Amino acid sequence: MSDNLKDGRAKDASIVKSFASKLWAFFNSLKLTLFVLISLATVSILGTVIEQNQPVEKYIEAYGSSWTRVILYMRVNDMYHSLWFLALLTMLSLNIIVCTIERFPPKWKSLLRQRPDNFDPSIIDRFSNARTVNVDGNADAVREKALKAFKARGFKTSLSGASGDYRLYAWKGTIGRFGSDFTHVSLILILLGAIIGNIYGYKDFSGIYVGGTITVPKADFMLRLDKFWIDYYETGQIRQYNSLLTVVEGDKEVMQKHIWVNEPLYYKGIRFYQSSYGVAWDKIEEAEIAFKKKAGKDPEPAILVKWGELARVPGTPYSVKLVGYTADFIYDEKTNTVGSRSGDANNPAANLEIYKADRLIARPWIFFKYPDAFPAIPETGDNFILTAYRGTMYSGISINKDPGTNVVWLGTAIMGVGFFLAFFVYHRRIWVSIRDSGGASVVKLGGTINKNTLVFEKELKDIVERLTKQ
Amino acid sequence: MILSLVFFTFSFIFYILAAVFYISHWFFKKKWLGHTGTTIAWVAFFSTTIILIARAGESGHAPFSNLYESMVLFVWATNIGYLLMEIKYKFKVIGAVVFVLESLAMLSATLLPYRYKSVEPLNPALQNKWHWLVDILKPYGYEKYAIGWLDFHVFTTFIGYAAFAISFGLGLMFLVKDAYERKGSRNRLIDAFPDADTLDELGYRSIAWGFPFLATGIVSGAIWANYAWGSYWSWDPKETWSLITWFIYAAYLHARVTRGWRGRRAAYLSVAGFLAVIFLYWGVSFILPGLHAYA
Repeated sequence: MSDNLKDGRAKDASIVKSFASKLWAFFNSLKLTLFVLISLATVSILGTVIEQNQPVEKYIEAYGSSWTRVILYMRVNDMYHSLWFLALLTMLSLNIIVCTIERFPPKWKSLLRQRPDNFDPSIIDRFSNARTVNVDGNADAVREKALKAFKARGFKTSLSGASGDYRLYAWKGTIGRFGSDFTHVSLILILLGAIIGNIYGYKDFSGIYVGGTITVPKADFMLRLDKFWIDYYETGQIRQYNSLLTVVEGDKEVMQKHIWVNEPLYYKGIRFYQSSYGVAWDKIEEAEIAFKKKAGKDPEPAILVKWGELARVPGTPYSVKLVGYTADFIYDEKTNTVGSRSGDANNPAANLEIYKADRLIARPWIFFKYPDAFPAIPETGDNFILTAYRGTMYSGISINKDPGTNVVWLGTAIMGVGFFLAFFVYHRRIWVSIRDSGGASVVKLGGTINKNTLVFEKELKDIVERLTKQ
Repeated sequence: MILSLVFFTFSFIFYILAAVFYISHWFFKKKWLGHTGTTIAWVAFFSTTIILIARAGESGHAPFSNLYESMVLFVWATNIGYLLMEIKYKFKVIGAVVFVLESLAMLSATLLPYRYKSVEPLNPALQNKWHWLVDILKPYGYEKYAIGWLDFHVFTTFIGYAAFAISFGLGLMFLVKDAYERKGSRNRLIDAFPDADTLDELGYRSIAWGFPFLATGIVSGAIWANYAWGSYWSWDPKETWSLITWFIYAAYLHARVTRGWRGRRAAYLSVAGFLAVIFLYWGVSFILPGLHAYA
């Protein structure tokens, strides 16, 4: 019985083993590479045709409810982050890794170790570009000529054989063979960088009022907006959006930077980008407020009230303080709070605190469009009118931390090296046999290039010319 | 606008003439026709160079900021790419195909609506200059001539497009030639083509230039996006289509080393790749919404 068990286990092990080797063989295939690349290209089209990350209603409107269900189920609305798209990328990565592991070591060995001395001259005949030429001069002289010709063209050479019968092996651009390996490693690095960014990075957005400070998420410093402004061309077109930002750490100002689109602030691994701007919906810089007596028909001249500051109203017993603003007034009865229906100034209203002899007597909302809706001070019927106000600008700052970025850049740099080696450095190998033949020499030569056979033809021709030249 | 427009008109005529002479050379095999074609092609190249320079002078920035300017850049790069290939490999028949493509490209640039042609100052997102270059030029007062990622990104991308355009022409020629070689039938005009293996090799050489240049364009775009938009990759339609194109050409490169895929199937991939380039370049700009809306 124990034998049976052993057999079973051995069988299991061999099944596992054969499965693993099948899987390995599956990923060690150029056909798979072609399949995955073409699949990635094809499905990526889908993600550009169907707009990404839109609200559900938009998909229903465009594709109907049953297609929308399919879209949501397959996550085509966020396709590039869907599991099946990531699965394709994973397949590509495994394909690259397995192919590199399979192909690199033997290539390394055969290319760097091999110095074929004393090869059999008959191998030369196997090359389609092989040629035989008769050259004046004995083999020794021709040998020197050949060495010189190869040297002039940047070849390395290895000479073997003895008097009257020499064999010459010449090669250059061996490193070009490793271009594809560099490129493949670089792709893995880029994907790795993207993964690192996804796990350890974050993206955020913050609107900062001029003069305001925000706490930067997941960081131990704060950011203050000192100034926001727009530059224009003479024609009136917008030239640039600018913000002056200060980094505040504890109570110390660490650095100040003028940022604009294309010039972010970088501090402690986090980048801050100029991304939008606008007028605040819940704050204004200052307002003009006019007093209007209950009996009087016309309001008194308006006074300027700054945000948060107490201002005496001349000719009255009152002082006012501007404490609130909303761009599109809405009152929520349930929570007894005031909010804004939208970001637009459809129904702007200011919140005042009214003091009489240092005592708070009223906290009315006064409306820019409806000045006489309610008296500001209900007991007396006196009113305050909001005649003008100056909005507070905010600057929209995108916040982005991505520790994977540098890995991605490292990957792209390696890719550059890989491309150069793969496309512009050709591995050429030439085998030559030089034999004395009654005062003259018979030279046989032929070889291979891993790419660009057209260039190689010319190169061979040039070498032959150098040999036959007097 | 005047100088660049005048030279645009000249260039357009030169491209058509070059196409006519290269085609006549292909039909009648007279040496002088081929030489004239090459000469006019060079004249067209210099004339196109002047469009770009004049345009830069008129707008005050490198002429890479809208569809019209990029079309001129594309035509320019394809022209010089072909001429260098002609110097190196001496196949003038290819010129017939390339200069028909060039004339079509010039025609499509002419047909662009005005808003894609006008000289505009750079919008905020397009203003990127290399600090180090500004620092070098500043002492001499030339800092306004500094270039940045915009220029590098567009230039490298369009070298890539140009190389793909040439490889597309070669791919088509390969498919025709290959079909004839396969059937063993003969045709005076098709016989004038380089043989199929040579066309395959030249197509590969062309893609071997286009592929790394497109990659450089994508990467420099990513570096720039990391400055301007807040992340190096955001699956914007243009970005995605550039990746799609890149995948297709990556497939082509792997196809060429795979048994049973080299030759015809690889040529189909090369043709598909250029169709993707056309969509990447024009389709995305006109049809799909995204951050690259300006060009």
